Amino acid sequence: MRPAPAAALLFGLAAAALLARHTFSVAVLAVGLLVICLRAPASRRWPYLVGALGSALALLVLTPFVERLPGTVYWTGPTIPVVGTLDVTSTELSGAVFNAFRLAAVSLAFAAYALWLDHDRLVQAAGFARRSVLAVALATRLVPALERDAVGLVEALRGRGVEPEGLRGRARLVSPLLAGSLERSVNLAEAMEARGFGRPGATRLPQPPWRHRDRLALVAAVAAVVVGALWL
Amino acid sequence: MALASAEGLSFAYPGAAGPALRDVSVCLAPGQVTLVLGPSGSGKSTLLRAFAGLVPHFHGGHFSGRVEVGGLDTRKHNPARLAGTVATLFQDPEDQVVFTRVLSEVAFGLENVGTPASEIEAGALEALAWVGAEHLAGRLVTGISGGELQRICLAATLALEPDLLLLDEPTSQLDPDAAEGLVELALRLSRERGTGVLLTEQRPALPLEVCDRVLFLDRGRLAFDGPVAQARTWLEQQHPLFVSADGDVGVHLHQPGQAACRLEAVTYAYEDNLLVVDGSSLELRRGEVVALVGPNGSGKTTLAKLAAGLLEPLSGHVERHGRATYLSQDPGRYVFCERAEDEVAVGVDGDLAAASRALAAVGLAGYEDRHPRDLSSGERERLALAAVLAPEPDLLVLDEPTRGVDPERKHDLAALLRNEPARATLVVTHDLAFAEDVADRVVTLADDRELAHA
Repeated sequence: MRPAPAAALLFGLAAAALLARHTFSVAVLAVGLLVICLRAPASRRWPYLVGALGSALALLVLTPFVERLPGTVYWTGPTIPVVGTLDVTSTELSGAVFNAFRLAAVSLAFAAYALWLDHDRLVQAAGFARRSVLAVALATRLVPALERDAVGLVEALRGRGVEPEGLRGRARLVSPLLAGSLERSVNLAEAMEARGFGRPGATRLPQPPWRHRDRLALVAAVAAVVVGALWL
Repeated sequence: MALASAEGLSFAYPGAAGPALRDVSVCLAPGQVTLVLGPSGSGKSTLLRAFAGLVPHFHGGHFSGRVEVGGLDTRKHNPARLAGTVATLFQDPEDQVVFTRVLSEVAFGLENVGTPASEIEAGALEALAWVGAEHLAGRLVTGISGGELQRICLAATLALEPDLLLLDEPTSQLDPDAAEGLVELALRLSRERGTGVLLTEQRPALPLEVCDRVLFLDRGRLAFDGPVAQARTWLEQQHPLFVSADGDVGVHLHQPGQAACRLEAVTYAYEDNLLVVDGSSLELRRGEVVALVGPNGSGKTTLAKLAAGLLEPLSGHVERHGRATYLSQDPGRYVFCERAEDEVAVGVDGDLAAASRALAAVGLAGYEDRHPRDLSSGERERLALAAVLAPEPDLLVLDEPTRGVDPERKHDLAALLRNEPARATLVVTHDLAFAEDVADRVVTLADDRELAHA
């Protein structure tokens, strides 16, 4: 499948998850996208799955404590200045489950995009805003690049007999990781400019012709948005 | 007619203490291979960037003089406009790859310079064929070796069919065979197509065999410019280590002592389950320096990490006596602190006195307050070395410690490594001249992962 209709389909599914009103519908979308992500190689998929499912879990756990909605009270905690009395109600809990599935579905749609799409072809297929599409494609590669850098930094510490353990140990990686990614982006920008990027009159590698399933994916993307808005 | 020229070129990077180039005048002819030599930080890469238009357009700074490439004044034409007339291959292939597929990567430059769409794929495939990598066209760049990736980057520059090819230490990450192949390829293309080549190198022996002309930069000034035969004589008198492998770092007087590390029939495989180290045995004794050499992908780094204790073998046995430290290939990984002294002190529980001693040992006395990211590539390499020397290890494992280091600094490094009777040292390197210079024993890890001792 061409990457543009595939990206459109994933965008449609993410939009449907944002527009849907029923927890079950959003859960089905999230599970479907999870299955797609699980078919990617284990070594590549784990940072995306940890990010998507971890943030959804965090949302599930935190939402009932920060929202104040009526309903059956399951738990009452201490009173905290400014925030007030902590409690967990049935409405807060169902809202948390719904929002967690929604976040998971959107994050997993991005994960599927990062894991499965041929970003090169997506950039080459871009008829307009090619710079923006290229920026998105390069940003998508940031996750594995950061992962490689983190492994290297840990290795440099362990090579000196320092084990970066616990949250504090890992936190010391953040600054060099950020600085390193900035340095790399400058190097890459320099190399791109040296290869003529940004010059007027650029052409593109010809793309393969549209096939039946490409058109079908585009129709499904539109259908997902409409169904999500009206019935899910 | 000159292909490119620099007249009275001076340049200082923004915020730099002094100029990187001072009053450099040079004229490059079509079909001529010119080798640029000089110590680390002497302005070699800056000169190449000036011919690519990246200096001053990309970097900013203070620029004076005039640079022309193919009749285009680089002050009036930005690097994107100069692309095609001039093409640059940078030192680190990882930092110049834009796309994920090989064919797209090679096609990128052709797209940018407006090659007709119907000719892009053929042009990219032809460039891949020049570097013997047409079979990689459909592969992901993440799935090929460092040597292959550097060839892909070379193909991406050659695809533009430039009049001037700039090669900035293109072989620093390649084994000797791959390096020789790449330099010979550049030379062949230069001869066949009349392309001018400007090449910087820190392993000058091979390029000196094939180049037509040599430039020597010293602290930004052009100290020598002449044909290669004349250059050899000049180098022998002024900088003999650039032409002679005989470093004479002194005879190793100590008899090797007790084993600091012993690997017995160790095996190791990464996630793909392919054995990278297969039944290797190696003993490292106090007072000796062992060089581990072999082609890209033969498992040298993995074996070094097993010795240092960064990896645990799948089978076999590793025995270590005392503390081991490991120097990573990438000196950019030693940037946790904002002061060089603090960075070196990371491995010694913040002992600044020990850190200061280690900095002095690698020639960085006075750099204590500098930020690690503000150092040049050669200085970063030495900072990283200080970081692993500071704990005074019983076993010191160095992975490619001479990348970006000039021959004179390599000589100093060899002398430093040989001057420690209580320590066992393992040096992983592609630099055979350095291996011979520094090591008591050279161990070769072949493609079939067999160890040969010499």
